[in-house]
Amino acid sequence: MTLAAAAMADAAESSQEYLGLIEAAKAGDLAAFEHLMRRHERLVLMTAYRLLGSLPDAQDVSQEVFLRLYRNLGKVESTGSLSAWLYRVTSNACHDARRRKRPESPVEFAEDLRDTVADPHQAAAEAERRRVLSMSLRRLPPKERDALVLRDLEGLSTEEVARALGTSTATVRSQVSKARVKVREFVERYFRSR
Amino acid sequence: MSCKEWEERVALHVGGDLPAEIASAVERHLAGCSGCQVLWSGLRESLELLQAAHAEPLPPAAYTAVRARVLAELSMRRQPWWRWAAGLAAAALLLLVALAVRPLPKVEPLPPLALAVPPAPSVRAMAIPAPPRPKPRPHLAAAPRQPLLVRLVTNDPNVVIYWIAD
Repeated sequence: MTLAAAAMADAAESSQEYLGLIEAAKAGDLAAFEHLMRRHERLVLMTAYRLLGSLPDAQDVSQEVFLRLYRNLGKVESTGSLSAWLYRVTSNACHDARRRKRPESPVEFAEDLRDTVADPHQAAAEAERRRVLSMSLRRLPPKERDALVLRDLEGLSTEEVARALGTSTATVRSQVSKARVKVREFVERYFRSR
Repeated sequence: MSCKEWEERVALHVGGDLPAEIASAVERHLAGCSGCQVLWSGLRESLELLQAAHAEPLPPAAYTAVRARVLAELSMRRQPWWRWAAGLAAAALLLLVALAVRPLPKVEPLPPLALAVPPAPSVRAMAIPAPPRPKPRPHLAAAPRQPLLVRLVTNDPNVVIYWIAD
């Protein structure tokens, strides 16, 4: 089960309890807010981690997202809208975090790749493959990366991705297909060069 | 329709993103096009690799840390300013009391200093300008005048210069 599906199913199973948590958190109950965080922390942290490729950065973004959620609890009306809201805010916060940091350039990326290829004593093959795939994600334009992560790694439907990213389904389809082709080209080029 | 034009549809079909009738058209094209079959299998393989690489869960401590940071920040924000001020004042008072009642540390006597006396500077013959003559001052009492004797020691123990000034 994907993270999104898990979050949705969790929320749907006990929506009364869930809405009660939101109401209590709105009233300033920190324990209730902690429960809300526990329900959605995987969605937020994993998405941020997949989008940024760095756990400390993803943790910073997650902290920011949950603080923003606390300030905006009044706007949350239903459980479904909360997941979509969290995806959207997490994706935007990741964009901001990337802008604050040094931009990734093709040169930097090429250096990463050269280092990997040049070092024959890289740890396990599995770890290296993971690194290559992570690099392939980092190399994508931000919007294509967002669409691919939400569609193929988070398992959202095209419509959910469009809602989360505030765009149309046609745009999401176009971004996802381009991203898949680029990842495939990158992976093939890397493994062919080995 | 060229293979390049099929590329987007094949890429969407890999993820099951096409409506049934377009998916069937892609399937029919794939059956007769070896180039697109290679594209299809490459796309499928890279997508599976990507999903497998990201399937590993994050350590629970990563979530706990985020939760703790958020709750700490919210707790801090919820406290009114006067509680902060009172807390700071209490901490300052405690520090003052602790400093006041603390016994003074015993100070160990310093070890005697061993003075290193540098050797006397070497003196070279040089022209020393004559100091200005002081104005004569009135003598309050008559005292025998002593000549000023300056002894200059050089690096050479056999050479000592005496300068007698009246």
